Amino acid sequence: MTDIPRTTHDGRRARGYVMVFLALAAITAIELVLTQIGLAASAAGALFLILSLGKATLVVMFFMHLRQDSRIYTAIFLLPVILVLAFSTLMLMSAGGH
Amino acid sequence: MTSHTIPHADDFRAGRELSLDHRKLGMWLFLASEVMFFGGLVGTFLHYKATLPTPEAALLDTVLVGLNTFVLITSSLMVVLGLDAIQRGRRRGLITFLGLTALLGAIFLGGQVFEFISLAGHGVTLQSSVFGSSFYTLTGFHGLHVLIGVIWALVTLMKAARGTYTAQEHAGVEAFGLYWHFVDVVWIVLFTIIYLI
Repeated sequence: MTDIPRTTHDGRRARGYVMVFLALAAITAIELVLTQIGLAASAAGALFLILSLGKATLVVMFFMHLRQDSRIYTAIFLLPVILVLAFSTLMLMSAGGH
Repeated sequence: MTSHTIPHADDFRAGRELSLDHRKLGMWLFLASEVMFFGGLVGTFLHYKATLPTPEAALLDTVLVGLNTFVLITSSLMVVLGLDAIQRGRRRGLITFLGLTALLGAIFLGGQVFEFISLAGHGVTLQSSVFGSSFYTLTGFHGLHVLIGVIWALVTLMKAARGTYTAQEHAGVEAFGLYWHFVDVVWIVLFTIIYLI
């Protein structure tokens, strides 16, 4: 498992990780504030989903190194994610019909 | 060793030409299967949430769970800093960060147990309603994954203490890291669909 580039200078990569962490913590704090101020349900749902997707993407791209690893790993991971998103959407659509 | 002594030698060569580590490939395939596993549970939870009244949802403590989310995100940072440390040959750093990862994972589990006890005190149990059943199944399976991750972190820590990992060879640390970050990603999704929406 040596595909992570080691050309970055000492400390630069660690600082990058900390920056990603700060972004994740900030988004989580924004989510908590939004729940406390009682945003309109329709707007809140979409906003929370977008924020959640942003956080998950940050973790997968930077902490799991998919940004710089082989595209094969990306394909392996993305295919079931797309299937699950389609499945969840269909479940919600079927629920809307009731 | 010449190629004619190895069965399917051409297949091995093809694998190397893709520059893929078989251990890492195996871990990503496992995580893909986990996406499908949690996807089924999440789809079911969403369906019930959209079709049935869920008055129990008002009992959920979003702030407490939000803090727990922060704990899990912090643990992910500890894992990547540990990986970064061993990549620079700093074994002591890896041991420290793995210890902090296990500690934060245990704190997360403690928060989850506290939440479960609190909800059970209000009558929300696995059998009380569809919400209770789907909630405990979803968060319980995630908690089980965190517990496995904490044990895995401690095993990795012990191996690090014995000098198993070096700057050149740290496959075990990276495999553990992929698992732990995936558990973090799953929680980010669960936190949104259970507590925020």
